Amino acid sequence: MPADDAITELIQAGRAEAAFEQLVPAYRRRVFGLAYSVLRDRGAAEDVVQEVFVKLWQALPRYDGRAQLSTWIYAITRNAAISAMRKQRRSVSMSDPAVFEQVENRGAAPEAGPDDAALWQKVEALPVKQRQAVILYYQEDRPVEEVAVMMGLPVNTVKTHLHRARASLAAALGGAGEEVA
Amino acid sequence: MTAGDTRRADLEARLRGLLGGLDTDAGFESRLMQRVATLAVAPREDLRAQFERRRELRRRRLRREVWMNGMTILGLGACAAGLLWRFAPDIQRLGADSASLVDPGLLAVGTLVAVGAAVWLLVKRADTARR
Repeated sequence: MPADDAITELIQAGRAEAAFEQLVPAYRRRVFGLAYSVLRDRGAAEDVVQEVFVKLWQALPRYDGRAQLSTWIYAITRNAAISAMRKQRRSVSMSDPAVFEQVENRGAAPEAGPDDAALWQKVEALPVKQRQAVILYYQEDRPVEEVAVMMGLPVNTVKTHLHRARASLAAALGGAGEEVA
Repeated sequence: MTAGDTRRADLEARLRGLLGGLDTDAGFESRLMQRVATLAVAPREDLRAQFERRRELRRRRLRREVWMNGMTILGLGACAAGLLWRFAPDIQRLGADSASLVDPGLLAVGTLVAVGAAVWLLVKRADTARR
């Protein structure tokens, strides 16, 4: 990624603040997409994005460029999102009616119209890795290679997840799933 | 184009439409920058507070040492005066005897050297404490 080179150069020149100012717009959506694909909750995902960027702000001056910048950021994001999910699981009780209602309602994507609500529910119902692959791939029409880096999985595994997810969605929406591949 | 291709294209378009707008809320970046700015200022304030605290402690320690030194000098002076008062006749006799034995000029120089050494020691100690 060309922006990564510029950001890395700034860090190595001791200009971590300038690097951070470039890093936030370059990675905001990707970090949010990754956090959201794990948590399925906008508020919680946004909290994780804040935490990730604060961690990056603190750690950026110590970044030595040995690992790829994107790989490093995605690893921090995945760990933060998984920690947040574990905390949610510990603190959330589905027997609480208010919590149950919140979980039921969070399925709707912000831009989803009534026609898309069904599709959104099907995406939500996909197995975790398939859902993650779909969200990250279609969020910005990313190459599968980048989605693989974001998920920390081999490219072929991500292709398989995407293939199965499309088939499941098509089948669930009434099409012939096996043809959509 | 087969029916399968059409369905796939339709599904992909719907997924793009549905997920393409997935982003943080408006104003996220400014909120983040505000939070980061508070993080950047906090350590500097901590350092300043630490510096002020240390300076105040050092000032108190110096004040205490000055007071202790003053009391020590006063105490020693009082003791010396008491001894002089108590043994004045003996000292007077000893002085008269010494004057007859030692050159008065040499005695004066010796006394001045002893007083100078004591003052130098006190000044040096005060200087070390100030550092």
